[in-house]
Amino acid sequence: MLNPFFQQGSITEQSLVQDLINEQLRMYGVEIHYIPRRYLTEKTIIKEVIESVFDNAYPIEAYVNSYEGYGDNTSILSKFGIQSTNELSLIISRERFETYITPLISNIPNTKLSFRPKEGDLIYFPLGDRLFEVKYVEHEQPFYQLQKTYVYELKCELFRYEDEIIDTSIEQIDDNIQKEGYIQTLNLVGIGITAEASTSLVSGGVRTIKVTNGGSGYSSSPIIAISTPSPGGLVAIATAILRNDTVSEVQIIRTGYGYTTNPVVTFISGGGKGASAISSISSGGISNILIGNAGAFYTSPPTIGFTTSPGNTAIATAIVSNGSISQIRILDSGSGYVNPPTITIGNPSLTGVGTYIYNEVVVGSISSASAKVRSWDKPYRKLEIATIAGDFKVGEIVVGSQSGAMYRIGDTNNNYDITTPYTDNDNIENEADNILDFTERNPFGIV
Amino acid sequence: MFGYFYHEILRKTVIGFGTLFNEINIKHKKTNGTEISTIKVPLSYGPTQKFLARLEQSPNLNQPVQMTLPRMSFELTGLTYDPARKVSTTQTFNEVDSSDNKVKKVYMPVPYNMIFELSVMTKTNDDMLQIIEQILPYFQPNYNLTIKLISNINEKRDIPIVLDNITMQDTYEGNFTTRRSLIYTLRFTAKTYLFGPLPTDSSGIIKKVTVDSRIGLDNPSRQMRYTVTPKATQDYNNDIATYITEDLSIDDNYVTVSDGSIISANTYITINDESMFVKSKSNTGNKIAVERTQPVLHSSGSAVNLVTTVDNNFIEPDDDFGFNESMSFLDDLKQYSTSLNEDIDL
Repeated sequence: MLNPFFQQGSITEQSLVQDLINEQLRMYGVEIHYIPRRYLTEKTIIKEVIESVFDNAYPIEAYVNSYEGYGDNTSILSKFGIQSTNELSLIISRERFETYITPLISNIPNTKLSFRPKEGDLIYFPLGDRLFEVKYVEHEQPFYQLQKTYVYELKCELFRYEDEIIDTSIEQIDDNIQKEGYIQTLNLVGIGITAEASTSLVSGGVRTIKVTNGGSGYSSSPIIAISTPSPGGLVAIATAILRNDTVSEVQIIRTGYGYTTNPVVTFISGGGKGASAISSISSGGISNILIGNAGAFYTSPPTIGFTTSPGNTAIATAIVSNGSISQIRILDSGSGYVNPPTITIGNPSLTGVGTYIYNEVVVGSISSASAKVRSWDKPYRKLEIATIAGDFKVGEIVVGSQSGAMYRIGDTNNNYDITTPYTDNDNIENEADNILDFTERNPFGIV
Repeated sequence: MFGYFYHEILRKTVIGFGTLFNEINIKHKKTNGTEISTIKVPLSYGPTQKFLARLEQSPNLNQPVQMTLPRMSFELTGLTYDPARKVSTTQTFNEVDSSDNKVKKVYMPVPYNMIFELSVMTKTNDDMLQIIEQILPYFQPNYNLTIKLISNINEKRDIPIVLDNITMQDTYEGNFTTRRSLIYTLRFTAKTYLFGPLPTDSSGIIKKVTVDSRIGLDNPSRQMRYTVTPKATQDYNNDIATYITEDLSIDDNYVTVSDGSIISANTYITINDESMFVKSKSNTGNKIAVERTQPVLHSSGSAVNLVTTVDNNFIEPDDDFGFNESMSFLDDLKQYSTSLNEDIDL
């Protein structure tokens, strides 16, 4: 017969026991973080979660039930490399979970079952700085003392990581996967692109047009009229540069060819008068300059260099528009060239912008590929990214969504992929280069 | 009895097998098709030294997670002789050994089957099916891999990699304290060849071929003899005969030399490694019409080397060369003795 002086399960008795347990957990426990899983994408039929996000972490006291540690032989070497099989048994207060964590996660989208701790969620265990996955939640131990259960026992094992996003904003938690999973390294360069141009040689082209009188009263650039060359030749084209209301310089756009005498230069309209210039012609000078690659991110006109001529080396100046070189105008077409000179154009700003932040999303400016930042080595401009969607292209700018950082992807040959220290893909590939003969192609990879 | 040799054929076959699977990717997509992530599946040769694995994979002892998935591992699990591909043990073939540029007589290799296991471990079945479906279509049931088994003699062999069977393990049943383990194991047979040591001595190249002809089956004496010997078309002994006195451009077919008297028409000369056929000489003898072979620019003062019969002795395997032919009619009633290497009376 039961003791009649006790109620064997009144709410006050149950609350007393719960309070005593809560107090003990606070005294003897460890502060862990409970990290609920958000289920973003699930497959039907073959039921599996293929996209999970862990972006909330709640500290809660837990008693380490496996007081002897993780057990013996927690690291094993398998054909898939070293596996840590650490297991952990944690006891948390049922009341604390229901009154503290449940209200916080019940309204978070894509979170299943907020009223109890659940399998598949993560536990951050600060002793050892590890992430555990809840394998099983035992809710009936001890068995209905005073007709109620007061704790949950979480049976956990170290998390197996693939490409889940862990972004709780708590550095100690998030950095656990910094070197885990498939990580691609992008070799970045400054955002500028150096322009490229070429030219050819002509005989009897205009070499220079020197202003002898700037005139006055010009409100816009006067038109430059240049007399025609001998039959079969090509007339030169030039443009005037104004300083205040006078002509300061005449720049040649096309030198023409077939001139046997210095052509006459005339200034037409522009609202002013009095400007005059004299021209000279050359043999073995350059013609117009063709821009092969206009470059990008020029903030000022770069220097234009030419191969030295045995006669007179050409001189030119660049016009920059929207960060690119729109035109290269000739100041002196040079003379005495036997072969067309090589044109060397100065570099634009080759620095990047900003500093990428860990875990921020970066997006490719052309490919729209996206990824999350794992690390950023600014001195060497190496950006490690994971959770990569799409293919980043060489030459595009990688933009940080939070930091606003911008750098351009450099040579793809220098890029390399890493996943874990277990990975040997690149070594196998390199060794095979010398011994395999894929006359057509390797259907499985690149050789 | 056995001298040291090691062609690394087994190792090369292991590497060749691994290469097949080193660029497999899996993609995760949302239900609307938007890509979530792409993962290049890590691959490694499974067996390794334990301490090395510990140092490389757990350098700081504390692994924050158990492991990362997916992963693929392969290993060599057996070697068996393949009698179906056996050839005569005395059969040989000749190849040029690049280490000493000599022709070597190589004995036929021994056919061996290498048994490989490729194991794939993934976190989800979705990942596993993606990986397997990218592999299987290429094996019908074999895929031929061309491997340079011996680099010295440039010996390439097609090694069929045969997919024998697939074992699927998905331990999803049981209590919740045991994790699901999803591992597929693919077994392959690589039909490779093992070569013995290469001979150190050269079998040389054939420098002279003589064909004797006779009329009538009962007539033992030869009546006609046809002989072919190699004829050098480039200079080997650097016998500087003269020098060119004007630059020779790419499209120039006339060479001006300081002394053309020692150059004959219908012979070969060499200038800076370019061989030229002398077509004719001018009246003065110092301007020579040539037929260019691989025209390059030659500067004034370059040496002109004569290609003579002396150079015939220096022809190496893989060189380009021509032939000297001679034909003679013989009525001396003799026959050629292969043992004495001379003509003897009947």
